[in-house]
Amino acid sequence: MDATVLGAWVATGLTLFIFSFLYKDNPLFKLAEHLYVGVSVGYTIVKAYDTVIVHLIVKPIFEQGEFALLIPVAIGLLMLTRYVPKAAWLSRYAFAFIVGVGSGLAIPRTISSFILKQVEDTVRPVLSLAGGDGVTFSMNLLNPASSINVIIILIGVISVLFYFFFSIEHSGPGKIVARTGVMFLMIAFGAAFGYTVMARMSLLIGRLTDLIEFSDASYGNPTLWLAILTVGVLLVLSRRSSPGEQEK
Amino acid sequence: MTFSERMLKIDRRIIFLVIGLCTLLPLLYPVGLPIKISSEVRGVYEHIESLPERSVFFISFDFDPASKPELHPQAIALLRHAFRKNLRVVTMTLWVSGTGLADQIVTQVAKEMGKENGKDYVFLGWSPGNTAVIINLGQNLYKTFPSDYGGKPTNGLPVLDGVQSLRDVDYMVSLGAGNPGVEAWYVFGKDKYKFEMGGGCTGVMAPGLYPLLRSGQINGLIGGLRGAAEYESLIGQKGKAVAGMDAQSATHVAIIVLVMICNLFYFSMRRATGRQSQVGS
Amino acid sequence: MIFLRRQLPLLITMVTGLLFAGQYYVPHPSSEQLLTSATKWLQIVGGFALVLGVTSLFHQHAAKIRRKEEGWGYSLVLYAGMLGTIAVGLWANGKESVEGAMTAFGWVYSYMMVPLQGTMFAILAFFIASAAYRSFRARSREAAVLLIAAVIVMMGRVPLGEYLIPLSGDVSQWILNVLNASVRRAILIGVSLGAVALSFKIIFGVERSYLGGGKE
Repeated sequence: MDATVLGAWVATGLTLFIFSFLYKDNPLFKLAEHLYVGVSVGYTIVKAYDTVIVHLIVKPIFEQGEFALLIPVAIGLLMLTRYVPKAAWLSRYAFAFIVGVGSGLAIPRTISSFILKQVEDTVRPVLSLAGGDGVTFSMNLLNPASSINVIIILIGVISVLFYFFFSIEHSGPGKIVARTGVMFLMIAFGAAFGYTVMARMSLLIGRLTDLIEFSDASYGNPTLWLAILTVGVLLVLSRRSSPGEQEK
Repeated sequence: MTFSERMLKIDRRIIFLVIGLCTLLPLLYPVGLPIKISSEVRGVYEHIESLPERSVFFISFDFDPASKPELHPQAIALLRHAFRKNLRVVTMTLWVSGTGLADQIVTQVAKEMGKENGKDYVFLGWSPGNTAVIINLGQNLYKTFPSDYGGKPTNGLPVLDGVQSLRDVDYMVSLGAGNPGVEAWYVFGKDKYKFEMGGGCTGVMAPGLYPLLRSGQINGLIGGLRGAAEYESLIGQKGKAVAGMDAQSATHVAIIVLVMICNLFYFSMRRATGRQSQVGS
Repeated sequence: MIFLRRQLPLLITMVTGLLFAGQYYVPHPSSEQLLTSATKWLQIVGGFALVLGVTSLFHQHAAKIRRKEEGWGYSLVLYAGMLGTIAVGLWANGKESVEGAMTAFGWVYSYMMVPLQGTMFAILAFFIASAAYRSFRARSREAAVLLIAAVIVMMGRVPLGEYLIPLSGDVSQWILNVLNASVRRAILIGVSLGAVALSFKIIFGVERSYLGGGKE
C-alpha cells in the first residue's frame, strides 16, 4: 500500500475516533487521546535531541571548538538534578539563572513596548488637535484614527484602567467612570467571544475539509468505511454498557 | 416542565449535529459569496507589494497543528505573494511541534513557484529558548542558527547575503497562535532591532493585537481564517481559506440563531415564572 | 549550607536580573557581546527545560503500568506511541523530510500528530456552540451589551453576514478597531505594569516560588 494512502486511512481513523467523543466518552477516543500524547512527547524529544544536542551542542563544540558552550550545558544538567532528590537543590542555580536573565531582559522591553508606546499612542492624537496644521476635528467613525475615535479610545482606556485599579467602592463621578469601563469591557468581551467562535469553527472546517479530501476513491474511501466502523463500534459498546447501567 | 424549559435542556448532541451539518454542507456545496478586504490585511499585502526585488522577508511560523486550519492558509498565501515578488524568504519557527508543518509549507510553495533552496529561500528550522532566540537573532543570525533545517551551514548561503541579524531584515511577519508569537517578536525583536513588522494570528488572538495595530507597532494584521481568505483574494489565488468561508458563514448564522432561540425561551420562561409568582401572592 | 542552597541562587537571580535590565541601556560592544552569549546560552538551557517538562509524563504513566491501575492499557498505548515516534525520529535523523521527500518521521507527524492535535481542538467548536445555547442569555444590561457585540462581530466577520446586513461589516470593524482596541490597550498596560512589578519582585528576592520547595 502506498504511504500516502495508508496515511489517509490512519489520519481519517484517528480523526473519527476523536470525533466519537461527541457521542460520549469511549475507548476509541481514549486510545486516540493517549496516542496523541505519546506521539507528541516522542516528537518533542526527537526534536530536542536533534536540535539541541546535535546542532547546538555537539557540532559547535567538536567541530568549531566553541568550548564556552559547556557552561550552558552544565546549567542545563543542573536543571536535570530535579530527578535526584538529594541533589535537587542544585537545580535552583539553573532556575535562578533562567529567571534572573529572563526578568532582566523583560523589564526594559516591556516598559518600552507595552507601556510607553501604548500610553504615547493614547495621548498623542489629542495633543495633535492643537498642532501646527490648525485644529481639525474629524467625525468619521469608520476611520480608526479620526478625532472622534481618538477620544472614544481615550475614554475607554481611562475608564477601564479606573475600573481595574481603584478597587474602592465606586460612588458619585467615580461610579459613572467605572460603569463606562464595564460597558467598554462587555463590548470587548463580546468581540472576543465572536472571534473565538470564528476560530473554533475554522478548526472544525479544517478537519472536515481533510475528511472530505480523504473520502475520495483514490484513497479507497477511508472516510466512508471508517465512519461506518466507528459508528458500529460505538453501537456495540453502548449495547454492552446498557445492561450494566440498567442494573445500577 | 414547560416547553421552554424542555427546549433549554435539549440534548447537546442535537446542537452538535446542527453545527456539524452547517459546516459540512457548505463545504460540499459552496456558494462563493464575495469577501470584503479589511484595512488590517491590506496593510501586510501593500507592504510586501512595495518591497523591491531580493528584499529580505523574514517569516516565523509560530503555530502548531492545533491552529493549522487558520494559519496554514495564511502562510501559503504570504509565501506565494513573497515568491511572486522575488523576495528572499527566510523562514523559521519558535514552536517545536510546528516544525514539520513549517517545513511542509515552505517546501510545497517553493516547489510550486520554482524557487531554489539556499538561493531564494531558507528554512532555518526550530530552536528552543523562545524569546531568547528572537534576541539572539537580533544580535547574530549565524550564532542562533549555525545551520539550516537540512543541516547546511547558514554562513555563506546566497539567500542570506548581506544579512547579519534581524536589523538587516526588510519585513518580518510572525504567524502566531499564542506565546511566543506576534507580541514576543515585537517586544524582543522590533523594539530594539527596528525592522518593519506585520502579524498573522488565530481568531482567538486577533482582538488582543489591535492595540499594537492602532499604535503602528505592527503595520498589518491577518486574523484567522477570514484574514487568510482576504489575503488569498488579494493575491488572486484562492485556496482553502476562501473555500471555507461559506461554512464559516453558515456556522456563525447557526450560532446566532441558537443564541436567539435560547434567549427567546429564557424570556418566555422568566415571564411564565413571574406570572406564576404573581398568582401565588 | 543555607548560603549555597538558598542565598546564592537568590544572589544569582539578582545579579543577572540587574545586569540584563541595565544592558538594554548600554549599547557598548562588550555589553552587546554579553547579550549575544547569554541568549545563546538560554537557547541551550531552554532545550534542557523542554526535556524536563515532557519527561515527567514518563514517570506518571510508567507507575500506572507497573501497578496495573485502571486504564493502564492506554498508558501502554501512550508509551508505544512515544517510543515508536522516537525510534523513527532517530532513524530519520530528526528530519520530517530530506530534499523534499517525506521520511517515516514525517509520515508519523503528518498522518498521526497533525490530525490528532487538530481534531482535539476542532471538537471545541461543538462545545462552544452548545455552551452558547445554554448560557449566553441576556440576564442583565451588561450581558445584553456583551451579547449584542458578539452577534454584530459574528455577523460582520463572515461574507453571509455582510451580505444580509451590509452595515454589520463596518460596525464590527469599528467595534474591533476602537472599542475593543481601547479595552485591550488598558488591559495590556495593566498586565505589563504587573509583569514589570513581578520581575522586580523576583530580582529583589521577594518572589521566590520559582526556586521550588524542598529542603533549605
